Amino acid sequence: MAAAERRTQMLRGVLDLCLLAVMDEGPAYGYEMTKRLRARGLSIVGEGSIYPLLARLERDGLVETYRTASNDGPPRKYYHASCDGKRTLADGVSEWRSTRDAVDAVLGLLEPEVQP
Amino acid sequence: MNKFVKECRREWKRLRVPDAVANEMAADLAADLEEADAEGASIEDVLGSSAFDPRSFAAAWAAERGVTQPSPATGKPARGSIPLATIVAAAIALIGAAIVILTTTSAHGVAAVPSRPALPAPPQILEPHGHVPAVDAPTLGLLLLVMGVIGIVTTLVWILRTRAGSRPGPLAQ
Repeated sequence: MAAAERRTQMLRGVLDLCLLAVMDEGPAYGYEMTKRLRARGLSIVGEGSIYPLLARLERDGLVETYRTASNDGPPRKYYHASCDGKRTLADGVSEWRSTRDAVDAVLGLLEPEVQP
Repeated sequence: MNKFVKECRREWKRLRVPDAVANEMAADLAADLEEADAEGASIEDVLGSSAFDPRSFAAAWAAERGVTQPSPATGKPARGSIPLATIVAAAIALIGAAIVILTTTSAHGVAAVPSRPALPAPPQILEPHGHVPAVDAPTLGLLLLVMGVIGIVTTLVWILRTRAGSRPGPLAQ
């Protein structure tokens, strides 16, 4: 499996949490969230658009939206986490940490040697 | 308007997404792409691999919005109908192949038998009403074989086209 594909697979399970997390900093529109994620090193988000995922979060009641005019452009659709979304984020962060610790216990201490 | 957004609109129209929702999605996407462009970012920076497949991107987005209305002409058939169609086509092809092989083999077998004195031809029975033209067995077998193969190929092409048209983006699953 290629490295990019593996990263995409790993990210798939937590991208919704990442979006809820960047929304927790303040309401944001689609591209703004992409930039916030990229600023934290998650440029791989570009491998799959966040728009369908945002639509799913909205459909599931995890985010709420409103439309407002921006300072220097057309009106934008802003997203922010709902109460259910904040609860999902809290649960998800806890699950992520326990999963990360368990994987680290297996992989974290390894220093694989690559034969030429 | 951005070419990518136009492609998306075309797909949403095909999927019968309500105009109000399609307009909203198109406006949001266009605004984001314009902002990215102004900052020197490419469409790929915003949409990743989806930038190369606007139809799948648009379909995935509309599906997650819950606004896709499959039309009767393009709606998916029942789950069991595709395997059933394939099995029927394969069965027809098999029957046809069996008839062709059996008749060809028996014809060769008859040819190998030493010839006997020819018997007088039996008298033909004339049917008073109607006449059904006789089709010999090898022709019938060949016909069934061709029909079966065409059926199998058509089903496979249909499956491939359907899958290609409804493939969502890598992270949108």
